[in-house]
Amino acid sequence: MKKLKIRLMEKGTGVKQGVPINMAFVDLKDIKAIDITEEEAANIIAEYLDSPVAINIFNMDAITTTSDGIVVESAITTMAAGDKGKIHPEFGILNMEAMEVTEDLITEEPHLKQIEAYNFEDNILFRGPNPAKKLIPVHNVVMTGAAINNNSATEVMNAVTMEEMLLPYLGQKQIMEDGDILLGVTGQEISVGIGMTVAEKFGRVFPTRQFKAGETAHGSGDYAKTLKENIPIIVAPKDVLAKYIIRALEAGMIPGKDIGCSPAVLNVAHSLGTKIDLDNINDSAWEELNSIGIKKEDLEKPSPQMTKEEIIETIEEIIPGVSKPKRVDSKDVVKKISININ
Amino acid sequence: MRLMHTSLPEFKLKIQGAVLKGSPNKKLKIKGLESLKSAKMQSLRTGRIEKAVEEVSMDKESSKVEVIVMPRVPETMHTVIVKGYDKEENPTKAILEVINIIHPTEQVELDGFDNIDDRRPSIGKH
Repeated sequence: MKKLKIRLMEKGTGVKQGVPINMAFVDLKDIKAIDITEEEAANIIAEYLDSPVAINIFNMDAITTTSDGIVVESAITTMAAGDKGKIHPEFGILNMEAMEVTEDLITEEPHLKQIEAYNFEDNILFRGPNPAKKLIPVHNVVMTGAAINNNSATEVMNAVTMEEMLLPYLGQKQIMEDGDILLGVTGQEISVGIGMTVAEKFGRVFPTRQFKAGETAHGSGDYAKTLKENIPIIVAPKDVLAKYIIRALEAGMIPGKDIGCSPAVLNVAHSLGTKIDLDNINDSAWEELNSIGIKKEDLEKPSPQMTKEEIIETIEEIIPGVSKPKRVDSKDVVKKISININ
Repeated sequence: MRLMHTSLPEFKLKIQGAVLKGSPNKKLKIKGLESLKSAKMQSLRTGRIEKAVEEVSMDKESSKVEVIVMPRVPETMHTVIVKGYDKEENPTKAILEVINIIHPTEQVELDGFDNIDDRRPSIGKH
């Protein structure tokens, strides 16, 4: 009998009300190993759980970007939402687009210079879906019944209870790699930071290059810090996040120019002493950063020139955000199960 | 006939009439049209829905018929109009905004139903 291996995070996991629906994380290799399609796998999981579930399928040999433009190993290739034992045939499943990384693309999206710097040229790049291939006109979202899997599988909701959880990519990567994760509540810094995006074609949230590094997707001033302030979240621990940010900075990425100007990126860059394009960060972005205490005049002061090790040791003071944090081994909150396939 | 549209009040009357064909004692509840004050409903589908309501109402086991109207595409984009008026109710200022609303899909309304006949055409067809 064939068995489909999945990682299952049950509804309620996390801080406050926790994740509002079940979460299934699946390695594409485990789907290919039993010779079924991604769509068949999603339907098998939906039928097995018979309750609202978000299903994220990963290609661990691919690459993706975080919302602030950090290139990292692995990627979500398919997202699905299931309920009542089914995947909605029209709106329940969506593939991310495999991107051809050309010189033209890198010119438009300078954060992709990281690909060559990390020798990732042979790894396929995925971010969000191709808008021409999806039926939902606005968000990169799939839904079945009460289960909603949004923003290319980084935000899940229950459409009936209206509860929500954010799952930024690096936290999901940690789960797929059996690493530690940080459970908590977003807080004001993350509320602001998730708006500091980079311009991407077929991005995780925006299908076109709508907002460049140095801009804010929120554009809502003082209000931005409250937009997503009180939502349960699962992220990578801050030392893990810092390692990816430092790698990007050492590859020559300039916050506010090549990569986003999120609070985490700005503070790590200032601590390390790498260049920040302070003048390219626009007034709207500064207004939002100022509202959470990140000021241009502070970043203009001489850097403490900390070493990577010193930054990691004191990372809790450097990267702000996540209230009620609780660091756990993902293996303690995510069960590995095998589903028998008839 | 295919190109015609039915007024909202007429649509509701037609649905009510279809239920009564089953029995004058059968109850009807229409949900999802509460916020519509005026609308033209697709006539072809009005007829098909009348038939469906009649079919369910004629079923001896059904004592109540519910008709639920919900967005077929579960994310809808809406214009939001913010309007201000002075003390004499004269318009002062209006701002147009937009909001996207995500809705549950039909599965949340079908709990407990084993006998489901999906007669909807695929997206893009009438």
